[in-house]
Amino acid sequence: MTEHAVHLSGVTKSFGEHTAVSDFDLEIPRGTILGLLGPNGSGKTTTIRMIMAILLPDRGTVELLGGLPDFARRNRVGYLPEERGVYEKMKVLEQLVFLGELRGMTRQVVRRQAMEWLERLGLEEWANKKVQQLSKGMQQKVQFIGTVLHDPDLLILDEPFSGLDPINQDVLESIVREQHEKGTTILFSTHLMDQAERLCERVCLISRSRKVLDGNLKALKRRERTGAVAIDFEGDDSWLARLGITNPKRVDDTYHIEADRGIEPDRLLAAAVAERVTLRRFELMEPSLHEIFVRHAGQPDPEPALGVAGGAR
Amino acid sequence: MRQVWVVLRREYIERVKTRGFIIATIAMPVLMIGLIGLSAFLSIQAERADRDLALVDLTGQLGEAVAAGMEAVGYDIELVDRDVGLQEMDRRVNEDEIEAYVLLDDLTLQEGTFAYRGKEAPGITRTAVFEKVVVETVLELRLSFAGSAAGLRELLTGGRLSFESLGEEQSELERVSGMATGFAGAFLLYFTMLFYGAYVLRSVLDEKRNRVVEVVVSSISPWRLMLGKILGVGSMGLTQVGIWVGCAALIGLLGVPMIAANWPAVDVGELSQLLPGPGPLGLLLVFFLLGYFLYSSLFAAVGAMCSTEEEAQQAQFPVMMLLIIPFILQMTSIEGSGLPWMDWAALFPFFSPIMMYPRAVVGAVPWWMVGTSLVLMAAALIGTAWVAGRIYRVGILMQGKRPTLRELVRWIRQA
Repeated sequence: MTEHAVHLSGVTKSFGEHTAVSDFDLEIPRGTILGLLGPNGSGKTTTIRMIMAILLPDRGTVELLGGLPDFARRNRVGYLPEERGVYEKMKVLEQLVFLGELRGMTRQVVRRQAMEWLERLGLEEWANKKVQQLSKGMQQKVQFIGTVLHDPDLLILDEPFSGLDPINQDVLESIVREQHEKGTTILFSTHLMDQAERLCERVCLISRSRKVLDGNLKALKRRERTGAVAIDFEGDDSWLARLGITNPKRVDDTYHIEADRGIEPDRLLAAAVAERVTLRRFELMEPSLHEIFVRHAGQPDPEPALGVAGGAR
Repeated sequence: MRQVWVVLRREYIERVKTRGFIIATIAMPVLMIGLIGLSAFLSIQAERADRDLALVDLTGQLGEAVAAGMEAVGYDIELVDRDVGLQEMDRRVNEDEIEAYVLLDDLTLQEGTFAYRGKEAPGITRTAVFEKVVVETVLELRLSFAGSAAGLRELLTGGRLSFESLGEEQSELERVSGMATGFAGAFLLYFTMLFYGAYVLRSVLDEKRNRVVEVVVSSISPWRLMLGKILGVGSMGLTQVGIWVGCAALIGLLGVPMIAANWPAVDVGELSQLLPGPGPLGLLLVFFLLGYFLYSSLFAAVGAMCSTEEEAQQAQFPVMMLLIIPFILQMTSIEGSGLPWMDWAALFPFFSPIMMYPRAVVGAVPWWMVGTSLVLMAAALIGTAWVAGRIYRVGILMQGKRPTLRELVRWIRQA
């Protein structure tokens, strides 16, 4: 077992004039759960496709589960592509059996496990129905089962939550967590920052085909602290004014003191003690992922870049 | 290879399970056998039901010979003395003592015309058999006046060309059989390559359109996927053709004795020699396999290039032309051979299945040409599979506009 489930170094991929991924480095330690974040069209899907060797990089190397992404290794990966696809005319169970067998499982094992999964996700009654009879959400669940069915070492989920209702998003999230607890390495891409914030241990931010930053989410947030403070106390806020803070931002009962006020957290705390303010809360504020992202990459493009040949659309 | 097998099996089962396949494969031949069998059965029943017939010979020269001839083909004929009178005979028919009677008179001796007097008209079979018996008898009688009856009679009924091959020994029957087999084989090859090729195209296109392919090619190489697909559809095709051939054999098995029972004049042994032997059938299989792989890999590449049904309709046109041209050429030379340059055109690998197979079974071209065409087809197959595999590999993951020829060349190079 090597240390990394995925190791990209210097990976570059262009489609004609358009550079989809530029000089990309990424290490995903085994057992972590990493979110690949970025706006639409920033190169997430292309990166994932290169990890799965569906696309070959123009430059750079891709290592998957400790080696070249050959089929033996790729078959230990559960891959959910961004574009959802199922054989609509096949029956649910047969489809899962097909996918499992393709990855080298035996018929009996794959049948049993597929049934277990279908039961877990409340689809057992649909096992012998044709996929096209299922609702979109159910089809997506079937496809997700197809991804985890063979008990992969690494799960690669490209925008796994898009198109799911909140209830099913929760179901999926809990399964992802459970897989993570089992020791499966998870890489998922999303453009929803709050989701990533809930789930990820590590994040990798990507914008305009370049990596912006990556690392442990907590460490990153700590590092990205600006000195802003959230403070909640009893009594009036005149003492703040005496420190030169006028019209502080208030969210409910909490005052948010931005760093640009020129008052360092230490001084603020010292002042509060000196003023005998009864503190209910004093916290160094951590930026949200979104804020970090904006700080490093600028406002994400509202519209995705178009015309990526071989890209998602 | 297990993966190829998994893909093959899915492709096969999913296809064989469909209602369309079952209808096309089983219901149709069963229906046809049923109809043919039923009508044959009914006509035999009808023919057997009323065979109480009588024969009145006013000439006094033909009666016994004609009656013998009719009895030889299975009719009960009562030769009635001409003194009985026609009123009496008509009465017997009207009162259903007999079904009908045949009346031979002087005109019969002169022109071969004779009357069949009954309430109902005779069936086609009966008419033909009776005419034949009467005419033969009259001829024999009249020729016997002219002397050497036997020889002249041969001349009248003969007039048969017998082909004498200057190459290898080949009997007349072999030639006819070869022609029929070659013709049917070319037809079968044309339609199977066309239809099963189209199945492959559709299968590739569907997989690409519903995006399953991205998951699948993360587990299996595109090359194997394509192979499994082609093999799966091919197995389905062989199953279908196998069932049809089986049905045809069944028809033959039931039909030949039926013919024997109804037309004793037909030599059954000769008839069964008309059926293709294992040699031509084996060769058909070889041509089918090579041709099918050749064309289905082309169709797979076309499917991979396109994103929509409409695009595919257009893009498959060149491939269809490759099939249609030899088919039309072959139609102009149904008897196997044709213009000399066509023998050379038949060497073109994409034309070979439809054009070389009939030539091979008829013996219109030397064997070295057949061998060469097989080698060329195999070589073309390797080349086509290589190119198609590369187009397929890039194409199945591409969405959007159909590639230009230039882009295609780039796909082939970069893959």
